[in-house]
Amino acid sequence: MTRPSGRLVPREKGAAPLDLVIAVMAFLAALALGASLLAARTSEGWRAGLTDRLTVQILVPAHGDAPTIMARESDAVIAVLNRTQGIGHAAPLSDTEMQALVEPWLGKGSLVAELPLPRLIDASIVPGAAIDIDALAAQIKAVAPDAQLDDHSRWIARLATLADTILWSALGVLILIAIATAATVAFATRAGLEAQHDMVALLHQMGAHALFIARAFERHYALATLGASLAGASLAAILFALAGGLEFAGVEPVPFLPPIALKLSELAWLAAVPMAATVIAWLTARLSVLAVVREIY
Amino acid sequence: MVRFENVGMRYGAGPEVLRDVTFVLESGSFTFLTGLSGAGKTTLLKLIYLGEPPSRGLITLFGHDMATAKRSEFPAIRRRIGVVFQDFRLLPHLSAFDNVALPLKLAGRHEGDYEHDVEELLSWVGLGDRMHARPATLSGGEQQRIAIARAVVARPDLLIADEPTGNVDAEIGGRLIRLFGELNRLGTTVLIATHDRALIESGRAREMRLVDGRLVELRGVGRT
Repeated sequence: MTRPSGRLVPREKGAAPLDLVIAVMAFLAALALGASLLAARTSEGWRAGLTDRLTVQILVPAHGDAPTIMARESDAVIAVLNRTQGIGHAAPLSDTEMQALVEPWLGKGSLVAELPLPRLIDASIVPGAAIDIDALAAQIKAVAPDAQLDDHSRWIARLATLADTILWSALGVLILIAIATAATVAFATRAGLEAQHDMVALLHQMGAHALFIARAFERHYALATLGASLAGASLAAILFALAGGLEFAGVEPVPFLPPIALKLSELAWLAAVPMAATVIAWLTARLSVLAVVREIY
Repeated sequence: MVRFENVGMRYGAGPEVLRDVTFVLESGSFTFLTGLSGAGKTTLLKLIYLGEPPSRGLITLFGHDMATAKRSEFPAIRRRIGVVFQDFRLLPHLSAFDNVALPLKLAGRHEGDYEHDVEELLSWVGLGDRMHARPATLSGGEQQRIAIARAVVARPDLLIADEPTGNVDAEIGGRLIRLFGELNRLGTTVLIATHDRALIESGRAREMRLVDGRLVELRGVGRT
């Protein structure tokens, strides 16, 4: 005879709103975790993008034939850079590249073409090479009085501070949301167990071992939390994946703002949210049941 | 099987509801526990099934001195006792079948092993056609019969029943008492708390009466 076997622990009334709260908290925790990963990647990208480069800016001279003077100084600077050990490659930015740089602020058109723009020389540093920046700056100044060497140290320091601030802020938000999520899961589990106190007492009375009772409840609450938190984290993952789709489709990101799409390897980290929530529910259920059983004779 | 020596019980700072209770339930005995409402019958049963610790005195169950027994020994002792609670204490989300099968599940038996036994027992108590029903859909008498079936299904060494025939008609009541008698003949020690004089007079079982928390023996050791 086939007969439906009942679950030992019932799905208590009021479970759906608690599941929803856990799902929302897991969604927020996954968003915060994703934002932290983005902040970490952006911060690393900023540092890496600037520390291996030098820029020489040749300002427009106040007197004389500016284009000729700037072209001469540009050639002289490139010659110095090419002679310097540790410089991998040095080349002036073309007019097109210069216009692309100023376009976000000044737009396209004849105005840009008429503006007296400085010349920029971009140089890459061989990874690990130690360059005496002051000596190099003196050499460049000697051959090109209108040139300024920028090793980005000022920018790097400020960007590093900014990147650290963003990263720590994101981690702070993540920690706060993680604590709130953990508290919500623990509260939901304890509230559910309160409603099941009579059942715990009955099973105890019938001779069930404390661990048998704990296992029945921890499995129930761990599974319920896994379902709810998985739904919340999945929604966050879908949003991050959609953002990746937008970038892939050619929708340009806002200049200077970090990307909003997670890489596949970073998306995998979001699985940590339901896993952590499930472990919290499991642990809370076990400790709560054991505490209840200890209180009963 | 069960030995009480000068057992007293009070709840909190209240008066003693049981005073100097001393008795022995021999293995395989059948005993009625009687007394007016509030005399302490339910409290005495609670002490036997380890629902509460006594305020004083010594309780020995199955040879274990409960004052010195380890807590880790309690579950095994409890599993040797079948209890019919006055308020049934059925699990509302489980079917009649699953409620009855609960002690077997707790004993670690697999459903395939006990399915036939549970169905047969439910048929014996007249609920063969209601085994999938939830307690809320059953009458008080039907719930009581499920509670009784749950208490006896694992063939406990000691059966304790608190007013087990209080909600059933005379015919079903007689049938349940025959079930208890059958269990007793198979070796289970039975202790039934009841007000039902007809039930008590129906056999030659021992009767212990509680009067103001003190135990009075009205009839000696016997078997149904």
